[in-house]
Amino acid sequence: MEFLIVSTMNGVIYGMLLFMVSAGLTLIFGMMGVLNFAHASFYMLGAYFAYTLSGLFNFWVGLIVAPLLVGLIGVLVERYMLRRIHRFGHAHELLLTFGLAFIFEELVKLFYGNYPVNYRMPDSLNFAAFNVFGADYPFYRIFIGLIAVAMFALLLILLTRTRIGLVVRGAERLPQMAQALGHNVPLVFMGVFGTGAALAGLGGAVAGAFFPTNPNMALELGVIVFVVVVVGGLGSLAGSLIASVLIGVFSSFAVGLHWTLAGALSWVGLGGWAEGVGGLLTLPLSSISGTVPFLLMLIVLLVRPAGLMGSKN
Amino acid sequence: MRYRFLLLALLVVALVVVPPFLGLGWQYTLVNALIAALFAAAFNLLMGQGGMLSFGHAAYYGLGAFGVLHVMQLIEYGDSRFPTVLLPLVGGLIGLVSGLLAGFFAARRSGVYFALVTLALAQLLYSLAPHWSGMFGGEAGLSSMRMPSLGLDFGSNLQVYYLTLAWTLVCISLLYAYTLTPFGRLTQALRDNEQRVRFMGYNAHATKVLVFGISAMFAGIAGGLTAIANETANYQIFNSHVSAQVVLHTFIGGSALFFGPIIGAAVITVFTFVVSGVTHSWMLYLGALFVLVMLFAPNGIGGVIQAHVQRRDSLPWRRLVAPYAVATGALVLVALGTVFIVQSLEIVFSEQYRAAVARTGQYADYSLFGMKWALFSPLTWLTPLLPLVAGLLLLRRTAARIRELWAGGGDPSACPPKVPGATLRSRA
Repeated sequence: MEFLIVSTMNGVIYGMLLFMVSAGLTLIFGMMGVLNFAHASFYMLGAYFAYTLSGLFNFWVGLIVAPLLVGLIGVLVERYMLRRIHRFGHAHELLLTFGLAFIFEELVKLFYGNYPVNYRMPDSLNFAAFNVFGADYPFYRIFIGLIAVAMFALLLILLTRTRIGLVVRGAERLPQMAQALGHNVPLVFMGVFGTGAALAGLGGAVAGAFFPTNPNMALELGVIVFVVVVVGGLGSLAGSLIASVLIGVFSSFAVGLHWTLAGALSWVGLGGWAEGVGGLLTLPLSSISGTVPFLLMLIVLLVRPAGLMGSKN
Repeated sequence: MRYRFLLLALLVVALVVVPPFLGLGWQYTLVNALIAALFAAAFNLLMGQGGMLSFGHAAYYGLGAFGVLHVMQLIEYGDSRFPTVLLPLVGGLIGLVSGLLAGFFAARRSGVYFALVTLALAQLLYSLAPHWSGMFGGEAGLSSMRMPSLGLDFGSNLQVYYLTLAWTLVCISLLYAYTLTPFGRLTQALRDNEQRVRFMGYNAHATKVLVFGISAMFAGIAGGLTAIANETANYQIFNSHVSAQVVLHTFIGGSALFFGPIIGAAVITVFTFVVSGVTHSWMLYLGALFVLVMLFAPNGIGGVIQAHVQRRDSLPWRRLVAPYAVATGALVLVALGTVFIVQSLEIVFSEQYRAAVARTGQYADYSLFGMKWALFSPLTWLTPLLPLVAGLLLLRRTAARIRELWAGGGDPSACPPKVPGATLRSRA
């Protein structure tokens, strides 16, 4: 019971963090058709910028200014790089972001070194929210979840209830028509790219203070975020929310479960045979928990590439 | 055509004759360069010829390496009499089988979705390998010894080098011959217009699967050669960095040409060897080079050369000499300025320097390029910034002039050649 409740809470909150990063990625893909390989780098930059700013000023300045800086970088990338090579096709845009991810990682190593930095939450946030089964539950986890929920609500209102959202959705569905109606579609693209980057940066600024901030964080989170947006359906915000929570909960449960394929097979009387074969059949779920998301991603890509919520195309 | 043949023959002779006179480090680097060249050629069969962008070629490379290591272990313990010189065949076989299997699934999707399937497959292996000790030896990986075969003991680096050279030459020749066959032409047709290929009655999916399999086979051979050269491999061979390297090599070299990726991979590997001894930031330079190529020469450096060769009769060479010389000088200035700044940053932000600042409380002078530089002196920062800015301005002006001269030929072929992969669609 204790495992169940704590794992669910941790999983949901990790899922919310995943959502903060994947929201921008899926928005950008849905709109521009660009799978942004550098998106997780924006998350990393957010954490590092917030680290520097929290050292110079305080945590809250970092939390607010770092996403803005990251958003600015996103705007510059879209305006001066992606737009330049748009005419060469999506493959080139994808490769460019791939190269940028490389550069961002190396720049972070250049300035901050190839080891984790000591980016911590302020003492004012470092307390136990409540007590579950004799263990303190850190308030900061809940703080991460709250920020993600606030962000999702804001994004949803912005996209569905305001005039800006109307233009953005219009530019996403029929860019040429939106342009013909007098809307500045390139500007919309730039804005969406910048906003997506800023959201990822916010995720980094919030999460970096709790999870380790190191030059590998982009790569580690990046692949999981790809899984999330694919499973949720590329371009679908609601889909990526569901997929984020799903994968977050799964990852947090999997580390505590020692199920094996052999165990499952013993239900049908093949347990002894499976134990004898060994190899894959006796690997516990806890040790291959990193593998399952990719399996899920593969299945979705092959069976239903539109994902959970994506429109069929 | 004759010149090209002569050039290739010269290169091969140099590759055979020179290495005995080189040091161990250089021999080892050349082995790596050859393997990287073969890997890039295999990758480009899929990307350049077939128009399929794979982000997970490390999977087949790594599987080939592990397969060879398993057989090497069998030979080492006397359970098998497989000749060491033919070991890469094992890698090739495993690459082929796994490639056909993976290709069967991946080729059902195209564009970004294809890339994502290959990425997921490689990540699957990467996350599984450290836990599956029977197959991949856990986190430590597998190790073995090269056993003597055919009178060669493979005790020296040089023998390994010649083994690698022979395999690389044979494989690259085969890959080149492939492009000339009808099936090779079909592969290119698939890249240019899949729908038309289907209308002509070909089975597009089966063709793609086969191309994927062949590409993975040669990647497996390259992996097998790495296993022989290093006598060890662990799960890190499946790391996305390995897949990333081959993408970088291929596109910097230019995927539109057969020899572009091969030369790109070889040159970059050697460059890495030279530079990585001097600076930690070599990956940054490599990434920056890749992004610059993507921005300004989407067909890679090979594509730039090809464009010149194609227009060799119509370009006003005489008038181009001066702008080209200026542009080269400007590029050198920009490169020098950038390197100065990056290296300064590397020193100033290094752990030692920061620790020294914390200890002594002052910012000491640092040495770079044999000189002492004061951190806060304007001279220190003007030295790189002046050539950088001057170079950029100069480059801007000459680029306009060069473009003018290129357009002045009035030749319709002046427009840039078709970009392979530009037809990759974003949606499945």
